[in-house]
Amino acid sequence: MNDAQTIAVEVIGIEQVTPLIKHFKLAPVGGGSLPVFSGGSHIIVVMHSADRVHRNPYSLLGSPQQLDSYEIGVRRMEESRGGSHFMHDTVKVGSRLEIAHPVNLFNLDKIARKHVLIAGGIGITPFIAQLEDLHGGPVPYELHYSVRSPEHAAFLDRLRGREGDRVHMYYDSEGQTIAVESLLANQPLGTHVYVCGPAGMIKHVIDTAQSCGWPDSHIHWEQFSAPPVGDAFEVFLARSKISVHVPPDRSLLESIEAAGVEVPYLCRGGVCGFCQTRVLELDGELQHNDHFLSEADKSKGKSIMPCVSRARCKSLVLDL
Amino acid sequence: MLVTGIKSKPVYAPLQADTRGRYHLMLGMGVGAGPLLRVIAEMQSAAAQSLKNTRVLYVPDSESPAERFRAAGLGDVQSFTDTPALLERFRAVLVQSLMGTRLYVAGPESFIGLAMKIALEFNLNKDEIRAEECGTLARRVYCIHCRTTMENVRTNIVRCTECERWLLVRDHYSRRLAAYMGVMVDAEAPGELPPIKEVFL
Repeated sequence: MNDAQTIAVEVIGIEQVTPLIKHFKLAPVGGGSLPVFSGGSHIIVVMHSADRVHRNPYSLLGSPQQLDSYEIGVRRMEESRGGSHFMHDTVKVGSRLEIAHPVNLFNLDKIARKHVLIAGGIGITPFIAQLEDLHGGPVPYELHYSVRSPEHAAFLDRLRGREGDRVHMYYDSEGQTIAVESLLANQPLGTHVYVCGPAGMIKHVIDTAQSCGWPDSHIHWEQFSAPPVGDAFEVFLARSKISVHVPPDRSLLESIEAAGVEVPYLCRGGVCGFCQTRVLELDGELQHNDHFLSEADKSKGKSIMPCVSRARCKSLVLDL
Repeated sequence: MLVTGIKSKPVYAPLQADTRGRYHLMLGMGVGAGPLLRVIAEMQSAAAQSLKNTRVLYVPDSESPAERFRAAGLGDVQSFTDTPALLERFRAVLVQSLMGTRLYVAGPESFIGLAMKIALEFNLNKDEIRAEECGTLARRVYCIHCRTTMENVRTNIVRCTECERWLLVRDHYSRRLAAYMGVMVDAEAPGELPPIKEVFL
């Protein structure tokens, strides 16, 4: 994916749904239909702020049957690198943005016999679209949704109205937590579990599922990492024959793009592996922040995911 | 002939205990007792508590009676007179089974295939099933022309019991049908058959 393939959209609705989350509706400029997608898909929103370009992944939460507009939920991040603040503070109804075509890295298993969905906070967004796909079908499903307090329960009315008691709510403020162990220890064969939320929650669900004997093929999760801030470093792009400076608050991928070199990407969050780039030379260490490379590959140091990973190094040469 | 090098041909590996599983369900037929007893011995030394959650469904033959499992200290062993009876029980067990179950199957390929077909209906994936082939290589063959399935085919060419076409037994395997595909071998030159040999022994 690159910017040449983006779709121009206009913001046609904004609603503050919780103290931290805004709900945006995006319609194609000039009308018409947006590309078809399936529940669990995300788009990259390209934001041109005054001094830089942000490209952030957001899950599509609208109905896959409704293609006249897309819906996304954006949580205002405390330690934002600028993208979520731009969406919250600068984008108004009528603003124009670019989006990339939807990509699904968080599919429902099509032959599952039951689905257990576990959401934490803003992690609810991909499930809203997945529930649209599941609703009315023959396969049983249930949603377990954990938020810090009732005022933070984004999209709950919408979910309750449609799904009723398939939605199980848990409020931190009332000391309620999802009993993952007893939930996963008693599921029928052919059940799949899906989790999206904070890193700690995802790890807890994966670890618990494994300790209950679940095989990996029945455990699904999605977590878009924001590129962490780090030390500035220099990178040399061997094929382009240029040197690029990576400042502390910009990702390697963003810096390479700002220098005019295109890198193929899909998720920009360390999940899909699409931007995997060969490391040709390195004097220093790579700081891998992705969820794609295995631990063994990370320690080999022959590959890097420039969307979220960085280096602390004297020199780094990439095959770009 | 389109017989070899076909990806759908199942590949089997020697059974090993998967102690990450919480429940262990074992299906065996005849000499399949050997590999299953090997897994049980492996559990006894590495993860004895797994044996409490182990259940065996078995079709014995004269050389491998079900007593071999009981002698290994396993309580939950059920014997069946034939494969259909075992599979009926297997299906009932799967309905009651929980996530965390691992399936081990040992026996002839046709037996494994029929068990896998049912496991597939319950959405058991590759990382939940282990299978070791032992015993006869005789195949279940599906006539792609009239949809008849034949059991215990030992020859490279077989005559369909229903439509009487001569079929070449391919390596093309259907997990859904638990059978190899049989395709008319003399369609272009009726009556001209390659030599018929016993190859699946």
